[in-house]
Amino acid sequence: MKDQSRREFLRNLMLGATTLAAQPILASCGVKPVPETQVPTVTLAATELASTETATEAATETQNQYPYLVVTRGSDAEQMVRQGMQALGGMERFMKSGADVIIKPNICVGYYSFEYAATTNPWVVAALVKMCLESGAKRVRVMDYPFGGTGEQCYKISGIADLVTAAGGEMEVMSSLKFVEMDIPDAVRLKRASIYQDVLTTDLLINVPIAKNHGMAKLTLGLKNLMGTMLNRESIHPSFEKNLVDLATIVRPQLTIIDGIRTLMANGPTGGNLDDVKIQNTLIFSHDIVAADSYATRLFGKTPEYLPYVIKAAERGLGKADLTGLNIKEIFLDA
Amino acid sequence: MPKTNTRQKRTDGWVIARKITQAIAFVILFMAVVFSRQNGLPADLADFTIRLSPLAMLSQLLSSKTFLAGSTLSLILLVSSLFFGRAWCGWLCPLGTILDLFNFPKRKIAKQPPESLRNLKYGLLIVILLSAIFGNLTLLLFDPLTIFVRSTTLTILPALDRIIYAIEKLLIKIPLLAEPVFAFDARLRPTFLPSTAPAYQYAFLVGLFFVAIILLNLIAERFWCRYLCPLGALLGLPSRLAIFQRRIKASCSTCGLCENDCPTDTINSQNNYQSDPAECTLCMNCLRSCQKDSLSFSPKWQPAPHQAYDLNRRQFLSSVGISIASVALLSTDWIKRKAKNFLLRPPGVVNENEFLSTCIRCGVCFKVCPTQALQPDFSESGLEGAFTPILVPRNGFCDFGCNACGQNCPVQAIPPLSLEDKRQSKVGHAYIDHNRCLAWSDHINCIVCEEMCPIPQKAITLETGQFTLSDGSLIEVLLPVVDRERCIGCGICENKCPVQGDSAIRVYTL
Repeated sequence: MKDQSRREFLRNLMLGATTLAAQPILASCGVKPVPETQVPTVTLAATELASTETATEAATETQNQYPYLVVTRGSDAEQMVRQGMQALGGMERFMKSGADVIIKPNICVGYYSFEYAATTNPWVVAALVKMCLESGAKRVRVMDYPFGGTGEQCYKISGIADLVTAAGGEMEVMSSLKFVEMDIPDAVRLKRASIYQDVLTTDLLINVPIAKNHGMAKLTLGLKNLMGTMLNRESIHPSFEKNLVDLATIVRPQLTIIDGIRTLMANGPTGGNLDDVKIQNTLIFSHDIVAADSYATRLFGKTPEYLPYVIKAAERGLGKADLTGLNIKEIFLDA
Repeated sequence: MPKTNTRQKRTDGWVIARKITQAIAFVILFMAVVFSRQNGLPADLADFTIRLSPLAMLSQLLSSKTFLAGSTLSLILLVSSLFFGRAWCGWLCPLGTILDLFNFPKRKIAKQPPESLRNLKYGLLIVILLSAIFGNLTLLLFDPLTIFVRSTTLTILPALDRIIYAIEKLLIKIPLLAEPVFAFDARLRPTFLPSTAPAYQYAFLVGLFFVAIILLNLIAERFWCRYLCPLGALLGLPSRLAIFQRRIKASCSTCGLCENDCPTDTINSQNNYQSDPAECTLCMNCLRSCQKDSLSFSPKWQPAPHQAYDLNRRQFLSSVGISIASVALLSTDWIKRKAKNFLLRPPGVVNENEFLSTCIRCGVCFKVCPTQALQPDFSESGLEGAFTPILVPRNGFCDFGCNACGQNCPVQAIPPLSLEDKRQSKVGHAYIDHNRCLAWSDHINCIVCEEMCPIPQKAITLETGQFTLSDGSLIEVLLPVVDRERCIGCGICENKCPVQGDSAIRVYTL
């Protein structure tokens, strides 16, 4: 009796294990799985704000109603965000009610508070969370993949976790389950990378970098901030410019807001010295990540030519580095 | 089919109460390990389990000659044994609970060891305490509470993590299940398990030791508790004076039922079914099996008699001899003289010998280190320093925003530095291998190390170097240079260096 039940148990166990192992096969019989690389193209087509290269005539026209780039200057971060977004056409231009939104600030380390300007201004992030929710977003998640410390710790130290949670958003510690190794079809050099799948499939991805000094990139702005969506980012450093632009061909935020409120002028991207921080009270908004980066070089007294990856990105049709003739609206809040 | 048990078992509330207590205590102590992490339990709660052990605390006191207020917590166990004997072992000890869980009553592979083997644990206790007086704490590896915390941290939780991850990975392939699995994972990490699965060097040795302790149950139930456990031995000494002891009434019919039910087999038919309070765990099984109510655990002050297997003078002296010899032999270990490249102690540790005389090998620091930079050592400090923490930067860097190890070390072997002080304290010093660094070897601009360096003024600075290529042309490359004054040896540069295999920048012993 006892032997029999053990045998039965083992048989059931084997059966269970086989079923479990066979489930991917069973699953594939049902719904046809979408090839990984197709995921972003499908969602981006729906948002009509992809890139200047793929934008249709109609899309260009809608863009013409609004300034190409908005700059707000002031001292109240939330008002700067609200005024800037309003000038850009409001959050409704970028999302429909019920949308799933991901905000990607720069929370690269968990060493110091936001005052040291290594991480994005928490009030800017919180204001975006509020605006998305006001526009009917189903869910607003805020996330980054820090290199210096755990997500939990960095979210807390940066001050972003507290304000985002209070505003009704969710802080998501990026799960290794969601990094999917995939082909980058338009890549020149970075042909494969492990990318966080949610930033590819979400309805709206808002890129909110902080403008700061960086050894390799010289400045880390919108494009450089995309590196927090992939694994093994250290491997990107050799042939940095090509790799970064390759990544930008697949991770396509529909909106980039560069935080230039407190800018880290030296010893970035980690910081730690208030003497290196310059208060500039500026926010830069654009649907075009390259244009935003190009404009942001002015915060450091430079031109886009200072950043080879911005020029390369423009050459490869990801946006405009040359801002001449574009409709740029500047808003002074305190004036 | 085994013989059916015709005897009617009396349901006894005491046994049920004991089992419930065991389960609750185990869950609490296990979860205390789980929640011991950066931003987790307050340090006093994370250290609670370890500070309960009078063996670890007494050894640490003898060895480091420093009194720690927190160690007085262990007096609870010592004092309680004056009342309830080894009730700790039967009712609360997490290792004891595991041994009760993995009991194989019908599968004994060897004959029960002789009674005289029971004195082995006293021998071990004497060796541990005497070695401690000479400044050696290596054998605290045998303290059941350090075994519990160490094994849970280094093997059980990482294995559990891998199993859960593998199942999650499988389930997310099913379209309908993906979202619930992601939601489950978001609840699980980082609250219960770290965001990235931990891995520890030499963890298999810890695992084997743990499994061996369980497998000894195949020879005799609670083999570890009867013959080996040095904490059991320490608690056994005051237990002989315990007020609550198992006592036989005159009504005993010498039926022998209780003898069969005793997990430590201390009920002796040769001796009128008396038992030794230094062996009895007050599990109350005998109370349940006794048909005649001939047993009581009622309070009475009457010290227990001497046992045949108690250490005699010769055995005591040989334990003393063994301790002296082993401490002396360990101190002649060649590894003490060996030039050490990578012996990087946790931040704030200054003197290696002092550290070895204070660290109780509990493993709390491995658990709280958020990057798993702290790893159990074997290769750098040898047998004496086995399973003491060292920093292995290629595995994890010392997080510039973290001082969890010092804050959580129950015996301050790792000093409880403030974050500001920890940021100033040097663990080692980084050196660049120009033969392997991409800047020199391949003339590539990489400078990941400079980017990662968390020092406010950067301990890695950049110079521009010129190289002549094979075609005679000149190329300019950014070269990283380590500033000796500023570098604290946190090792984030070594950790993130994109060179395959060993990093091109490595942190060396100061």
